[in-house]
Amino acid sequence: MTVVSNLSRAAGRPRPRSSAWRGLLYIAPAMALVLLFFVIPVIMTAWMSLHAWPLMGAQRWIGINNYIRMVNDTRFLSALRFTALYTVVATIAIFAVAFPLALFVEKQRRFVGAYRTIIFLPVVVGLATASLLWVWLANVDSGFIGPLLRQLGIVERSPNLLASFDSAFLTIIVMVVWKIAGFTMIILLTGLQAIPADIVEAARIDGAKRWQRFRYLTLPLMRRTIALALIISVTGSILAFDQFYIMTAGGPQNRMISVVYYIFNQSFVSFNLGYGASLSIVLLAILVAISIVQLWLLKVGDDKA
Amino acid sequence: MSLAPETGSPAWAGGAAAAPLGDDGAATGGVRLSGVRKSFGHLDIIHGIDLSIPEGAFTVFVGPSGCGKSTLLRMIAGLEEVSDGLIAIKGRDVTDLDPSDRGIAMVFQSYALYPHMSVRDNLAFGLKMANTPKAEIDRRVTAASAILKTDHLLDRRPGQLSGGQRQRVAIGRAIVRKPDVFLFDEPLSNLDAELRVSMRIEIARLHRELGNTMIYVTHDQTEAMTLADMIVVLREGRIEQVGSPREIYEDPANSFVAGFIGSPRMNLLKARRTGRDSLTLADATLGAPFPTASGKSGADVTFGIRPEHLTVGQTAVDGRSLTASVDFSEYLGGTQYLYCQLADGQTVTVEYRSPVAVRPGERIVLSWSMETIRLFDDAGLRLRQGM
Repeated sequence: MTVVSNLSRAAGRPRPRSSAWRGLLYIAPAMALVLLFFVIPVIMTAWMSLHAWPLMGAQRWIGINNYIRMVNDTRFLSALRFTALYTVVATIAIFAVAFPLALFVEKQRRFVGAYRTIIFLPVVVGLATASLLWVWLANVDSGFIGPLLRQLGIVERSPNLLASFDSAFLTIIVMVVWKIAGFTMIILLTGLQAIPADIVEAARIDGAKRWQRFRYLTLPLMRRTIALALIISVTGSILAFDQFYIMTAGGPQNRMISVVYYIFNQSFVSFNLGYGASLSIVLLAILVAISIVQLWLLKVGDDKA
Repeated sequence: MSLAPETGSPAWAGGAAAAPLGDDGAATGGVRLSGVRKSFGHLDIIHGIDLSIPEGAFTVFVGPSGCGKSTLLRMIAGLEEVSDGLIAIKGRDVTDLDPSDRGIAMVFQSYALYPHMSVRDNLAFGLKMANTPKAEIDRRVTAASAILKTDHLLDRRPGQLSGGQRQRVAIGRAIVRKPDVFLFDEPLSNLDAELRVSMRIEIARLHRELGNTMIYVTHDQTEAMTLADMIVVLREGRIEQVGSPREIYEDPANSFVAGFIGSPRMNLLKARRTGRDSLTLADATLGAPFPTASGKSGADVTFGIRPEHLTVGQTAVDGRSLTASVDFSEYLGGTQYLYCQLADGQTVTVEYRSPVAVRPGERIVLSWSMETIRLFDDAGLRLRQGM
């Protein structure tokens, strides 16, 4: 007996320290990447945002003046408004398409693998490529949508879709839904598949109809998945840039300038790098705040199911 | 086609499949299956089951895995479509009804509790879906949790309960629905051995108190024997035998049932008929338990005898004993199992109760009394006197 206890003590005591070091070693590569490509750049950006920082010439410490300037910057405020509108509309549109698609491809049916693949296919196209493709599709003369509408006799003259705010906005929303809904669908699909079949059967025996099962079982049991899909979708929409830059170059009457587009303009068109940095910091703060609110609303974490 | 009992009182034997629904006195209140079939494409899972379950009976479907017992239960529940045939509950054709309209409640092997709801909400869910008034819901939930002693758990989530507690809640959810028929799908197989025994007793008590028709699926023959009023032995989508536990044990219809029910299982030994009333088994000539009218000399038969019916001795008895050598033994306290080999290598299990030790390698004489022998023909069907 004593031999055994001695052995276990000898083996047991030094282990915590060495395994802690080994643990650190394992996470070191990931930590290095996060540090190098996120933490340090954020600190540098924060530092830059406290300066007047032209592309060439000396930077000058101006404290929080960049942030003060922002409050009265009507172009920034309208970029914020436009981004908010776009985020709300795009997220609702993506979910409205992706959820039914997820329900559709969740059931075992003929060719379900083909459906999943086809719906997911646009996701693997780059956003810039997709934007270019849709610029062509929306072209008045040599495109697809306008001429098609004309050939079908719905309109008399092929419309210039990207010329007015409403039709350009609609075109971009349709493009983004086409591009992103497949991804959201896959996320939602994993959540749907994680619901055990016998719980659904128990609910059928309990007399819950299709809609009631969706309302009382599917939705609550998918809360985490929905939170994930929502955060990805909202974050992606707030950071939208490519489609406005490529498809409308800021849109009719500069009404389609998103926050990131505005940051890009300030930093790399007007070369106000310091002001651009301060806008980036504010955008980061907004994103963190929205994610916290979403997680809190969906109460991820307290669910001990 | 059912191989339903050839003996006993076949009150529930489903021979008369053509009888109109609800016209069958004994089974009006129970569950009645006629010609029930299930196929996936060309693959038949259930081959036309005819069965009448009397009201209030505790019926156990038992069989090896893949025999279709769970599928049959799920068809009664309405969770699986019926390819052909009719299912009636309390004289009402429910074949195409929704699960919730059949007057059934089901307890799942995995419990299938709603993980995001408290125990109270789990119990109340079905009633809420049926728009039951709140006072009535409270009354029934309280009553059910009193029966199952889960009152103190009502505000917890399923994730905070032990396996046994979850099973109680799952049964409680069934009770609250006040069903005509309770369906249990291997409800105890996720529990540890000790808990399984106590929950088994609990379920038996519940059946006595509520008096409902209960259908219980298991592959555990101990559960089947202890709980059932009526056992249905299934194999490959067919009924092998229907009867009370005693009938199934003492009067098996074929060698499959004989071998499946009983632990340790019945010894099924290859033998050959040598005349109207004699057999050879492992070079020994034995007397047949009864003269067989139709038996051809030289036909292969299976000689079945249960371990507890073999007596260990030293002296051979003419025509009803065999010599065997002991391979090894299991000591269980009150009894001892001897695993023996006959002269031709066939193995025999013997239950041995004498305190005189038997050592591995020893040669013993096994004898029996004639009425304990069960004979089966080469297709496995039981041979009976006068056949």
